[in-house]
Amino acid sequence: MTTDHTQGHPGTYDPVGEEALRGMWDRKPLIQVQRLRKCFDEIEVLKDISVDIHKGDVVCVIGPSGSGKSTFLRCLNRLEEPTDGKIFFEGIDITDPKTDIDLHRQKMGMVFQQFNLFPHMTIMKNLTIAPMKLQGRSRSEAEGQAKRLLERVGLADRAESYPSQLSGGQKQRIAIVRALCMNPDVMLFDEPTSALDPEMVGEVLNVMRDLAKEKMTMVVVTHEMGFAREVASRVMFMDDGYFLEENAPEEFFSNPKNERLKNFLGKVL
Amino acid sequence: MIEKFSQDFYQNFIEDDRWKYIVDGLGNTIKITFFAVLVGILLGFLVAVVRSTYEKTGKLKLLDLLCKVYLTVIRGTPVLIQLMIIYFVVFGSVRIDKVLVSVLAFGINSGAYVAEIFRGGIMSIDNGQFEAGRSLGFSYPQTMFYIIMPQAFKNVLPALGNEFIVLLKETSVAGYIAVQDLTKGADIIRSRTYSAFMPLMAAAVIYLVMVMIFTYFVQRLERRLRNSDH
Repeated sequence: MTTDHTQGHPGTYDPVGEEALRGMWDRKPLIQVQRLRKCFDEIEVLKDISVDIHKGDVVCVIGPSGSGKSTFLRCLNRLEEPTDGKIFFEGIDITDPKTDIDLHRQKMGMVFQQFNLFPHMTIMKNLTIAPMKLQGRSRSEAEGQAKRLLERVGLADRAESYPSQLSGGQKQRIAIVRALCMNPDVMLFDEPTSALDPEMVGEVLNVMRDLAKEKMTMVVVTHEMGFAREVASRVMFMDDGYFLEENAPEEFFSNPKNERLKNFLGKVL
Repeated sequence: MIEKFSQDFYQNFIEDDRWKYIVDGLGNTIKITFFAVLVGILLGFLVAVVRSTYEKTGKLKLLDLLCKVYLTVIRGTPVLIQLMIIYFVVFGSVRIDKVLVSVLAFGINSGAYVAEIFRGGIMSIDNGQFEAGRSLGFSYPQTMFYIIMPQAFKNVLPALGNEFIVLLKETSVAGYIAVQDLTKGADIIRSRTYSAFMPLMAAAVIYLVMVMIFTYFVQRLERRLRNSDH
């Protein structure tokens, strides 16, 4: 009897059980980029980019400067308006002008090269303003979460400081926590260690490493090849507006196929 | 000499209760300045938001054009001409309170300068602040309100204070439409007593003291806002 019904509605029938269905959902990409193009006036920075990013992926994007890495990342939450193509986030086309992008951005944390903490607010205020104003969380709830996250990145004692009182590495860890306070489904990192003094790079990468261990989905534009090799589930090489090669980190670094990637790795490794 | 001074003083301020010209005039000057500042801030704020929104996003093009016309005309003509046009032309055929006309004229005039001060403040905030706000999910107005404006306000406070000092002193031309402000009050005394020194000095000192008090409070506010800079 069941089979009779299901023939007409294959999508609603679940012969294996809920678990499998959830498994199928997980296999659907969290972010799906289809034929993305981005032009600044006459200059075409991204040319035909298509990528799937799954839940739990740690995707590291590397490539020479000016290759379009940052632009690609910034298109994902529409800080840059794509010229052409589609981006699906959790199944919803966020390039559709009718989509309320502000709502989806709450689920996409972003960390900038220049930290961009709010200088007129204490660290605690930096961390709680968005959850309180946007998600309607109470002050005690928002501050509780902020404190727990500060604890985890080792900055619990700086809650009442202002950003200008912190070092670069501390600022960047706070910036990561600020994004995490919104409980995002994906974290976008735009060269998070490029503006740091060398001795502070490690502390920021450690926080990111922990995040990856907790299965946070991450897209990281970076020049830290060591980090990419160790933490990434996939590494992608971008040059001249295209993804030219992508692979698991081991294969990517030890056996690159694309000529330009070989050349690039030869310079940076 | 002291005799001459006290005689002058008596003649200019005590005789016929002439001090009342000064006090009444001062009252009008304060009234005009205070409300003109409010009008100026409100108008300037709105214009600055429109213009910086257009510059950042390309939206509100028509409103931006309107604002540009307003800025060009107001900043391109003398405030005294604007005051007289509003009184004799715009409200030429209706009876209207002259103080109210002055508030309008000086407010509209000040708004143009405040708008450019605010806009400069907004545009001076690093675009990264804006992007950080938007990336957390704040809408454009929310980002402006919570993140950009507080920082911009702190940056423009000195320029804003300066603008209000200018405005306070500019109201001294209100006498042209027969408002009895501080300057006009002093001038009336001069025309009665034929002695210029006392009344004009009195007016000058009062302006000076008002500006000094105002400056003191602006500096205190600046220091308080600067606390977060360290």
